[in-house]
Amino acid sequence: MIPHILLQTIVVPVLASIFIFLTRHRIGRKAGWVAGFSLLYTTGLLIIASARAYHGEVIVEKYPFAGSNITFDLLGDGLSLPVALIINILCTALAFYSIHYVEHRIEAIYGEVDEHTWLNHYTRFFWLFLGFPLAFLGVCFVKNLVAMYFFLEVLPIPLYFIMAFFGYIDRVRVAMLCLLWAFFGASCFLAGTVIIYYQVGNFNISDLHTLAGHPAAFWVILLILVALLAKMAVVPFQVWMPWVHAEHPTCIAGLLAVYANIAAYVMVRVIVYPLYEDFKIFSMPLMIMALITMVYGSLLTLAQTDVKRFAACSTISQLAYSLLGISALTIFSVEGGMFFFLGHIIGKTILFSTAGILVYSTGIRDMRQMGGLGPKMPITATLWIMGAMALSGFPPMSSFPAEWIMFTGIFKSGIQTIPSGLIIAILGAVAIILTAAYTFRSVKIIFFGPLNLSLANGEIKDPPLSMSVPLLLAGSVSIILGVYPKLVIKLFHLVVGGLPIP
Amino acid sequence: MKFAWLCVLFPFIGVLSIPVLAKVHSKFRDFAAVFLPFLSALASLMLLPYLFNPESLPIESSVVWLSVPFVVEFGILVDPLSIILANVVAVISFIITVYCLGYMKGDPDITRFWTLVNLFIGSMLLLVLSNNFLLLFIGWKLVGLCSYALIGHYYKDEKKYWIGGPPPTKYASPTHCGLKALVVTSFGDLIMLGGILIIFFYSGTLNLHELIKTSSSWMPAMAETPGMIILVSFLLLAGPIGKSAQFPLHEWLPEAMAGPGPVSALIHAATMVKSGVYLVARLIPIFYYGYWVTGIGEASTFFTITAWVGVITAFVAATQGLVALELKKALAFSTVSQIGYMWIGLGVAGLSPSALVSGATSGIFHLLSHAVFKACLFLCAGSIIHAAHSIYMTEMGSMRKYMPLTWIFMLVAALSLMGLPPLPGFWSKDAILLSSLEAQAISIFVLAMVTVTLTSFYTTRLIGMVFYGPESMHVKHVKQAGGNPHEADRTMWGACAVLAGIIVLLGFLGPRVEHLLSAAFQSDLVGRLHLPVKHPENHSINYHLVVSVLSVLSVMLGALPAYFLYIVRKKDPRVLLNKFAILQILHGFFWRRWFIDGFYYKVFVDGALKLADFVADYLEDGFDNLVHRKFPDLITRKFHGVLIHFRTDTDVFFYNITYILIVFIGLLLVILW
Repeated sequence: MIPHILLQTIVVPVLASIFIFLTRHRIGRKAGWVAGFSLLYTTGLLIIASARAYHGEVIVEKYPFAGSNITFDLLGDGLSLPVALIINILCTALAFYSIHYVEHRIEAIYGEVDEHTWLNHYTRFFWLFLGFPLAFLGVCFVKNLVAMYFFLEVLPIPLYFIMAFFGYIDRVRVAMLCLLWAFFGASCFLAGTVIIYYQVGNFNISDLHTLAGHPAAFWVILLILVALLAKMAVVPFQVWMPWVHAEHPTCIAGLLAVYANIAAYVMVRVIVYPLYEDFKIFSMPLMIMALITMVYGSLLTLAQTDVKRFAACSTISQLAYSLLGISALTIFSVEGGMFFFLGHIIGKTILFSTAGILVYSTGIRDMRQMGGLGPKMPITATLWIMGAMALSGFPPMSSFPAEWIMFTGIFKSGIQTIPSGLIIAILGAVAIILTAAYTFRSVKIIFFGPLNLSLANGEIKDPPLSMSVPLLLAGSVSIILGVYPKLVIKLFHLVVGGLPIP
Repeated sequence: MKFAWLCVLFPFIGVLSIPVLAKVHSKFRDFAAVFLPFLSALASLMLLPYLFNPESLPIESSVVWLSVPFVVEFGILVDPLSIILANVVAVISFIITVYCLGYMKGDPDITRFWTLVNLFIGSMLLLVLSNNFLLLFIGWKLVGLCSYALIGHYYKDEKKYWIGGPPPTKYASPTHCGLKALVVTSFGDLIMLGGILIIFFYSGTLNLHELIKTSSSWMPAMAETPGMIILVSFLLLAGPIGKSAQFPLHEWLPEAMAGPGPVSALIHAATMVKSGVYLVARLIPIFYYGYWVTGIGEASTFFTITAWVGVITAFVAATQGLVALELKKALAFSTVSQIGYMWIGLGVAGLSPSALVSGATSGIFHLLSHAVFKACLFLCAGSIIHAAHSIYMTEMGSMRKYMPLTWIFMLVAALSLMGLPPLPGFWSKDAILLSSLEAQAISIFVLAMVTVTLTSFYTTRLIGMVFYGPESMHVKHVKQAGGNPHEADRTMWGACAVLAGIIVLLGFLGPRVEHLLSAAFQSDLVGRLHLPVKHPENHSINYHLVVSVLSVLSVMLGALPAYFLYIVRKKDPRVLLNKFAILQILHGFFWRRWFIDGFYYKVFVDGALKLADFVADYLEDGFDNLVHRKFPDLITRKFHGVLIHFRTDTDVFFYNITYILIVFIGLLLVILW
């Protein structure tokens, strides 16, 4: 039995971050490997913890923090562990991916600098990067709303700095924009948390159910929903997403998808699970918002020519699928929606990072100027197609069974609320065609056809293995979960299956 | 049962092993690519004895794949329908892979090609042998994905692989055609998913066998919601309509021949388009039970749509075949049209209790005979295009001089397509016409008979333009440039010869094969599922004879003018066209594909792109401007004097860091306090 297994997954990235910071000039270019291997270790821990949860065990770790009201208790159950595991795998993959990518960004932004400055930049990226797994896993495991708020607030910090130091053209302004949006969401979340405290008497998520049926529950749900919808970039809160995704260094753009998607987990953990009866009133409006966002986001993506904005806009559309599933409020749709969220973050990490590879190799962002790159970059093309398949829900990617389970629930809910529910369900399913259209259209524009003449003389080739292999492994995880979805669904069902919803 | 599993597994083993073997030696790779489909075909043939003993069917074998939140089994279902389909898919696909050995020789992307072909075959076998909707849908989606990749095999889009034209008609690149196929068929798939999930809601099972067995309990429950069964019929049929290229989702198939020749043969004969027909046949018992046993009137919608979609498609596509200039496109239109015939058979099966067995039998019998003759036609077409260095029939002519064997094989297949006795196309088409007459669907029968004439005309025209008449200028140029149009590689004409042989054999055994299929379906639908049927009344007129005579007369009616125009060339068809205005109007209308394709591009493609631009340029930019510029401007203008001291939206990094620190320290203090 490994002691403090959940705490370790949060603390190890912190220690690694401090280690990199303190020894930055000594470890130098090995900082990326230190970050990667520390995350590999926590991935191992999470696999062990998930295996225990798979056999029905609920892992609880109690740590006092500030009095009896604010504790730092951690909960590893069927809901938190698979989410944490997949997120950590992606963080690990991206840490290794970043080893070469960050070198390229430093060169692009700062040009020729002395070794000391260069190492400062290089190591800064990795000690900041480790803030992501820390915050993500914190959000997943904490049992307390204040602690959750804390970790949700920690997330924008590495995001802000990495964006400002390593982002693209308009990086400082967009970093600020991202931060302000994060504060907007956080304020709403905090307001909801404060109301909960005054009604329930503590911040424990496990006691939230005592608020059920109380008039204040409506306002709590509304406030927290606004916070989460802003994070998920649901229309009309979507305007920040294309900017932020487009200007970020691509090596963390995959984590931005996680940053937005984790709101789906919070929604299930904080609202749906304890307050499902009060949540019902929001079900239909949320489903309508989700449908609008799916179509709006897809059309927005279809219009993009910038390879980074393309991936960003598609996130808007894809996140709405999870929202549709969760708000349909059936066991199938909630489990499917959560599973879809995991499939999506894997697919999006692959797609975003491949977009990064394209920019890294060609130096251009306009997809129309790429064309015919398939023969020159076969592995990159494979990765992009893999990402396209994951987003469009093609077997054997995990999004296929996720989509099936989720829509089973959405249709179940729809038939019970004929005609509006059924119309939304049918339109929701048909809207996936837009995803297939824009993803596979991008494959054609970027990789097929004759090679663009402006690229013919360049030394364009696939990236180093340290960039492509982590993404191929992430794709393999998606395939494993697609072939054997029981690994995740059984875990979700241990928690969500207990809900008294249809 | 193990043969059924092996039948599915072998091509998937190919998918995994081909890329590995390619690294060892190309010969190993090529051998595996053909040998594994061969083993699959062998395994499917081992299932055939069950057809002679249908009482022992169905046999099911499955393992639990998913137990929560609902149970899904990964299983195989062996019944008459799946046995027939598995054999068609596996055997024809194997013959096509043999042809590929010659056709694809020297292709730089051969490893990818072989992998995808094996995946295509495996997915199709998974589709037809699966015992539940989820697994079927996995096969369904994979088939769509493979077709996308194989149609776009020449993904560099070199001009020599473009199809369409001649100017002013637009050309289309292979990758464009692949994308078109994927989007159009996926559209149908997703609508179908809705239908499947609604059925699952009412029935609580995805197992195909259980669905039929329990339909007496869930069908009435579904009928309690008015319009629900009609809705489900439309939703469920959208998938097969897309995959089988039926009206109104038929426009992708004519472009699907942008891929290599054998891929066209796979799509048109053995795999993709047959999946839709299979699914419709699979669903017949459910809706038949609903209509004829439970008395739910709405259930008949399923059959009405099927039959009418079939006959409209058969007619519309045949008219387009009359004017096609590209050899493979003419064959593609013919596929669309012939699949329409299969849909007629399956549709009329539910319109009358006396047509159940004959309708289902005729639809599937035509699927079988079409698979053989269409595979032969496409493979021969591939050889001819190779030899003539052109995709246009107008640039061929007199090719029998150079390719006598191909001429014979293609002629046999073409005569079968026309429906000339005693070839299998005659027997199967006749069976469809007869069952539509038995179901009293007179208008469908008449339109189908007219289409027989059209089929006969365009097939004779095709043979005439390719093999008869004077040699085209293009062929002369090819010869002058040192080209030598000649018979194809041994593996290529050998595959065509085998198919032609099967056509002849199937022709002689036609009535026996029909009887065998009929007995199998009788045992399955009536004996096992206890679906009520009525034996056809004894009419004073012999319907069988009438249909046969009318059918042969229709064939003659179409073949004779085409014979005089394109084979013996008594008159120049262009002179006739210029002489009659009505012919010009009709020609233009058919050439532009009834304006359907253009309409789709205008509305769906251009429309979606314009809408996307509107969303991006007006809605998103406008909203972004409002939220990120106007709103902050408003605040800063109003409170400029105060805010100037706290300005954060600036490119000065120091300000931003200070701001964050202040906010975070403040928040931390608030929380701890």
